[in-house]
Amino acid sequence: MNVLNSSEAHDECFMQSRTPATTFDALVVGGGPAGLSCSYTLAKKGYRVAVLERGRTPGTKNLFGGRVYSSPLERVYGSLKDAPVERWVKHERISMMDDDGAFSVGYDSAVSTSFTTYLSKLVAWMASKAEAEGVTIVTDVRVDEVVMENGKAVGVLAGGDRIDSDVVVVAEGVNRLLCERMQVVPPLSPGQVALGARQVIKIGAEKINERFGLAGDEGLAWFFLGRPSGYLPGGGFLYTSSSTVSLGLVLYLQEGMSVSSKHVFEILEDFRNSPPIGQLLSGGSVVEYGSHLIPEAGLKMSPSRLYGDGFVIVGDAAGLVLNLGYTVRGVDFAVHSGYLAAQAISDAHSSGSFASENLATYGNKLKESFVIREMRRHNAIRKLMNKKHVFDVYPRVMVDAARRLYEFDETSPKFLEVGRRSMKGKRSPLGMLNDLLLLARGP
Amino acid sequence: MSSPKDLQPQTKPRRTRVEDALNANVWDVDGSPHIQVDTSKCVTCKTRPCIVLCPADTFVILDGKILHSYEGCLECGTCRVLCPEKAITWKYPLSGRGVQYRF
Repeated sequence: MNVLNSSEAHDECFMQSRTPATTFDALVVGGGPAGLSCSYTLAKKGYRVAVLERGRTPGTKNLFGGRVYSSPLERVYGSLKDAPVERWVKHERISMMDDDGAFSVGYDSAVSTSFTTYLSKLVAWMASKAEAEGVTIVTDVRVDEVVMENGKAVGVLAGGDRIDSDVVVVAEGVNRLLCERMQVVPPLSPGQVALGARQVIKIGAEKINERFGLAGDEGLAWFFLGRPSGYLPGGGFLYTSSSTVSLGLVLYLQEGMSVSSKHVFEILEDFRNSPPIGQLLSGGSVVEYGSHLIPEAGLKMSPSRLYGDGFVIVGDAAGLVLNLGYTVRGVDFAVHSGYLAAQAISDAHSSGSFASENLATYGNKLKESFVIREMRRHNAIRKLMNKKHVFDVYPRVMVDAARRLYEFDETSPKFLEVGRRSMKGKRSPLGMLNDLLLLARGP
Repeated sequence: MSSPKDLQPQTKPRRTRVEDALNANVWDVDGSPHIQVDTSKCVTCKTRPCIVLCPADTFVILDGKILHSYEGCLECGTCRVLCPEKAITWKYPLSGRGVQYRF
């Protein structure tokens, strides 16, 4: 392994401060959105960085739903002109579905702040950017352990080889085996994550534009509640890409475990074949089927400290995902956490050591940033997310109410009658008020 | 009188089997399993959530016993998190093997 790739912008002072055994200024475990944004930012500042990635090439182990908010990426990379943007999301839809119909709300705009992409492609692009700045990306490497000496991270073990580093960036993703081994987090529990399963369906750009009412590179992001997750806590999603569509479901593991009797793939197939999805995707062929866990417990599943002597934790491993019900943020949080970690590492280097107190600026920067602020602000929504009735009763009631409003023979019902009849025996007005208050009150 | 429902064109559901969906993926299957299941612990497991929640359907019941195959694993980690009996030793595949996501 050629580890002495010279980086033109290398900081001479920093080299002198290294101990002879150290090969890299920083070692990043995991070449995903967080690890790559961190390594790119560090390399730009002149540091010598290596990324250890378990996949064959960067991106081959990455998977997500389909949408990224662009601003945090633009902060790191400037223009996204050469980024693998599939479509700019200018159409949003959210639907409540039962077995026979759907009640939908939409939003259409000429402006877009997010785009659809495939994470495998976006990560490959981020890796090419990092390499262009001199980052060494070593693929096919599974890191088995972060080596700790006297409570300080001093390097990693991979395939029996030890690689030393002054600072280790843990960007291992949601399955944080290294963090668990370092005992900075307890093992993941079903209450902390959701299962995402996704099919990529090839339809063709023209058909996508025709069927979804899109023009040019306009994209659609569509969220579903009710039937798509088998009425279990979670939901469904559909994102249009250039010539393919991502269709998937999200299932909260804790609730899915205790209730689901149907195989998750069959729930997804029910969704794919339900009206109107069946018609919209007809003739399409599945070109990929994948799954991934999603951090869902917010700051509750974050390590008590996102940094320690010689290490920082970024991205999914830090639990930085926010599911708002109508949209999800994760990749943008990961990118920004990696960016802030790089700033903190640089600051710590200036202070002369990567001791915990010097890396604490990462924790502070993250707390002051939109990432933690957003997660705190929307803490209340998480309390609704594991209530079964939100995903079962409400979608059914909404569609039932719409059915009563729209499907009549001669006499159309009054609004209040519809509400009363659809809600009858489903959820008390007090219960509904409670849910509303929970949302309105905030954390 | 026919209801409007009857006038709708009947779209015949075209279901995909999970094995066909998995076959659409690019694979480089590892020679040895990256996940090991101590199936002796599954005997007393009452809920067996892995059967319905492994998205790749790698856990099946045969003659009342749980069988696991690692080849079609999507590396999501669901089984590791949900196993009530802690019967699963879970690692990522070595040398970049396993599923090769393109999208």
